[in-house]
Amino acid sequence: MNRSFRAIVVFILAFAFSAAQAEEVKLDFVISEGIDGARPVAVLPFSWKGTSVNAPSEVATVIGADLRRSGRFNPMARHELLQQVYKYEDVNLQLWREKGIEAVVVGQIEEQPDGRLKVSYELVDVFQKEQEVRNGELVTVDRNRLDGYSSIVRAKDLRFHAHRIADRIYEKLTGERGAFATRIAYVSVDRSQSKPYRLMVADSDGYAPQTLFASHEPIMSPAWSPDAQKLAYVSFENGRSEVYIQSLYVAGDRKRVAAFEGINSAPSFSPDGRRLALTLSRDGNPEIYVLDLVSFRFSRITRNTSSIETEASWTPDGQTLLFTSDRGRGPQIYRQNLASNRAHRITWEGNYNASASLTPDGKTMVLINRTNGVFHVAVQDMESNAMQTLTKTQLDESPSLAPNGSMVIYATVYGNRQVLSVVSTDGRFKARLPSRQGEVKAPVWSPFLD
Amino acid sequence: MSITKLGKVLVVLASASFLFACSSDGSNETDTQAVVQEPVQEVVEPVETEEERMTRINAETRQARTVYFDLDDDTVKPEGRALLEAHAWFLAKNANTIITIEGHCDERGTPAYNLALGERRAKAVAEILMLNGVAASQIKTVSHGEEKPAAMGHDESAWSMNRRGELKYEG
Repeated sequence: MNRSFRAIVVFILAFAFSAAQAEEVKLDFVISEGIDGARPVAVLPFSWKGTSVNAPSEVATVIGADLRRSGRFNPMARHELLQQVYKYEDVNLQLWREKGIEAVVVGQIEEQPDGRLKVSYELVDVFQKEQEVRNGELVTVDRNRLDGYSSIVRAKDLRFHAHRIADRIYEKLTGERGAFATRIAYVSVDRSQSKPYRLMVADSDGYAPQTLFASHEPIMSPAWSPDAQKLAYVSFENGRSEVYIQSLYVAGDRKRVAAFEGINSAPSFSPDGRRLALTLSRDGNPEIYVLDLVSFRFSRITRNTSSIETEASWTPDGQTLLFTSDRGRGPQIYRQNLASNRAHRITWEGNYNASASLTPDGKTMVLINRTNGVFHVAVQDMESNAMQTLTKTQLDESPSLAPNGSMVIYATVYGNRQVLSVVSTDGRFKARLPSRQGEVKAPVWSPFLD
Repeated sequence: MSITKLGKVLVVLASASFLFACSSDGSNETDTQAVVQEPVQEVVEPVETEEERMTRINAETRQARTVYFDLDDDTVKPEGRALLEAHAWFLAKNANTIITIEGHCDERGTPAYNLALGERRAKAVAEILMLNGVAASQIKTVSHGEEKPAAMGHDESAWSMNRRGELKYEG
């Protein structure tokens, strides 16, 4: 009796604990600044044929939310939808056209005998002409169906698959590859936990957070490998900064790659994944090094014995590093080709520029700029060197670009707490992803996952 | 803000009294003896020698183990220097004592740059200790960057407490 009662209490506590754990790191998306010109679209609920009453995940809701937080689209509210249909043939183009909706998404989910799900979707461009004159004759053409696609997924992958559908829609409608089916890594700090510091990985919308590593001591600077299989990061578990590389999928695959005297920090994988740029002060001063991950040899890149050299990032061609150096008094961004010994300063606005990285096309640099004592995420055109501030928040740090270059995720302070935020690279769209508990920082966006 | 100021004032006072003790050459001894000669005292306090008195004042001064810095700066301020001289006096006499100097930053600026700035601060503290006779082998430095704030909060009152060097005695 007593024992079973205790067992129940233990069970309840365990349940409460796991629920609290899940809550702790959950991120919520709050759009703080939308775009007036966002294109009106409609994502209709997908049909469901299966053994349970409802589909395991609300696919249309996920797709709609993705499109909305791209800043480019304004999906219609569920209760305003004009039709409930599931196939292109049933879409009443005229009806949607009158409402000014540009594109309609329809789809179906069907449970297979093995329990997997067949997901089909179609994207309908409402305004394409249905008929045209060919050889002097009016013929019906079928150009409204912009995309159609179906695949079979495991039930537990359904929600992530919705991001893949959103990626297809985004690409068809904008011409730019979508980056919804990606993940973010970040560090959460919750001082009420016995291990306050956690390296987390979640879907790009903050869903399904998982702890990759928990520690009593700080964790810094996560960086994705280009194949998205590993993270490099800084851990203080031995009382000082050391650089580790850990696999996301192979349990126990964790390697300490730099633990020299002084600081070991700011890891960044080369685009081919074979080298790791990092900062070491083992020779007395923080300098940029490149570690060959095959031979495990370090080569020193910068040689400035009195300044701080840190935060290396690679140009897309893997030939050049951008980094932060305060050799000219305050921190500024420099560029150095790995084959040369010479660095060129490339930032000139404000007395503090740091944390630079390039968009995939190499045309735009994202960085942290301080002007009048305020730290903002900014972009600089690599040709004209013109700088533009993207944010209105004040204590911005750790900017990281989405793999398609459309968005920047960064850490800032909102409501007296450290939170993650996103801003579009053109500065027009802004949103926050506050954690429900504790603080979150050091976000870094994964590469494309396939 | 006021707590910070109060803290700094206390550090200055403690350091000043230590320096005063260093420079005085026994002129206070008569006071000490007068106390000892009080006939009503049943338990007679042992006479504190000058060496003991210095050690006691130094130990009191060394209760403070944090020095502060300005934004973007690694220069130890004058009141911090005086405190470090008190620690150096003790460390030079106790060559087997090892200390770790932790360099810290406020949250402003990028975490990786701040990690390097924290190292500069720790080294600036080490430099002063060594200039005052502490052996390099007694000193370890470590930077925590902006990762371990002493004060939570996102304003100058917290930041001024967080830009710091901390002395940690081993053992």
